[in-house]
Amino acid sequence: MKSPVFAYAAPNTVAEACSLLADDEDAKLLAGGQSLVPLLALRLAAPTTLVDLRLVPALTGITHDQGVLRLGAMTTHRSIERSPLVQDVAPAIAEAAALIAHPQVRTRGTIGGAVAHADAAAEWPAVLLAMDGHVEVTGTGGSRSISAGDLFMGPFMTSLEPDEVITSVSLPIDGREIWVDEHQRRHGDYGLSILAMTYQLSDGLITDVRLAVAGATGSVTRAPEAEAALEGRAPADSNDAITALAAELSYTSDIHGSADYRRDITTTLFQRALRAAGERSGQA
Amino acid sequence: MTQPAEHVSVQVEVNGRRYQRSVMARLTLSDFLRDELGLTGTKVGCEHGVCGACTILIDDEPARSCLMLTVQADGKKIRTVESLASGREMSPLQACFQKHHALQCGFCTAGFLMSATALLEEGQPTREDIVETLSGHYCRCTGYSPIIDAVEEAAAKEPS
Ligand code: FES
Ligand code: FES
Repeated sequence: MKSPVFAYAAPNTVAEACSLLADDEDAKLLAGGQSLVPLLALRLAAPTTLVDLRLVPALTGITHDQGVLRLGAMTTHRSIERSPLVQDVAPAIAEAAALIAHPQVRTRGTIGGAVAHADAAAEWPAVLLAMDGHVEVTGTGGSRSISAGDLFMGPFMTSLEPDEVITSVSLPIDGREIWVDEHQRRHGDYGLSILAMTYQLSDGLITDVRLAVAGATGSVTRAPEAEAALEGRAPADSNDAITALAAELSYTSDIHGSADYRRDITTTLFQRALRAAGERSGQA
Repeated sequence: MTQPAEHVSVQVEVNGRRYQRSVMARLTLSDFLRDELGLTGTKVGCEHGVCGACTILIDDEPARSCLMLTVQADGKKIRTVESLASGREMSPLQACFQKHHALQCGFCTAGFLMSATALLEEGQPTREDIVETLSGHYCRCTGYSPIIDAVEEAAAKEPS
């Protein structure tokens, strides 16, 4: 047994989970455990209490209602990838889920866990930012909704209060185009760069662009200058935006790749996204 | 009100047999299977979710047993590599592994077999599906092609 000793509880309700969190400031939530259990094994995390959400029935399930795709926080990546509903209303989201790690991890890992973990090289935070998604959270003091832009504060940091539990993730399905792509050194690894983009296409022009990058920079981030440079342009007329994206982000260097390499990869991912936009607008 | 505790009681069905045990909450499922139940067919390579050696089936879906606490499997049905053969007779998938020399040291094999088992149970996979599923496993010996070939032949034989 490699992980430190902790006390464990598996409440049946969100309210109970919140009060367990409030009772112990070193408590942590356990969702699918695909990030937390290795952190425990490596002793990078040492919570005194683990509050497991697996027995809270209200946290799973996928619905589509009034233009919002709502994913229960404990919904696994695998069930999102395979959901006929998601494949129907937002196939790009099902495909994004399939980019995460390996099938054997996707069967257990959850969207709520991944969002709360806020790894700088994870897919969901980028998707949420680009889609202007929200998370619904509940704490001892009540419930609220947090937009992706207000949620991610930095690598492994969110604006969640210590006693708050993410109950679901909401993604607007409003006819905007969605594109998610990434590059991994080995299939299933963390992305060296992950790019998520949403936009409107009208008369062959791109408008209302939201562009998010993860993996290539220290934390998941929007790229406002590239977005502005793309606004109102045709996909083929995007050199300014490509230059802006390369210049405005601070790309990270580590053993997996240099900053220059990550910048090049991000540029390539952006070009692919633009090529797809060109095909979608029928004037590639 | 659920009281947090360091010890937990778990009830699982493993390869068709029911077990009830009191374990430490921090005990991983891989250690539980090997050390508590003596099912040492499941191998532990990296113990943090990278290699796939510890893959088992939980309610028919492949998962890494080193990335699960035993208590997370409470009430679930688990299958390990020990469930595949009947007596001394190998399953068709195992026989294909033997035929194609899909193992050398064998350390990774239990994990590959369990992921492949789940894949074959889902239907008729293409070679691409096989590669995608097996990409979650490391093998330091075979170079993978024999493993993919073995699963492909097993898929072709599968009555579906
Ligand atoms: S031992 Fe579990 S993935 Fe390596
Ligand atoms: S046969 Fe040795 S690691 Fe795969």
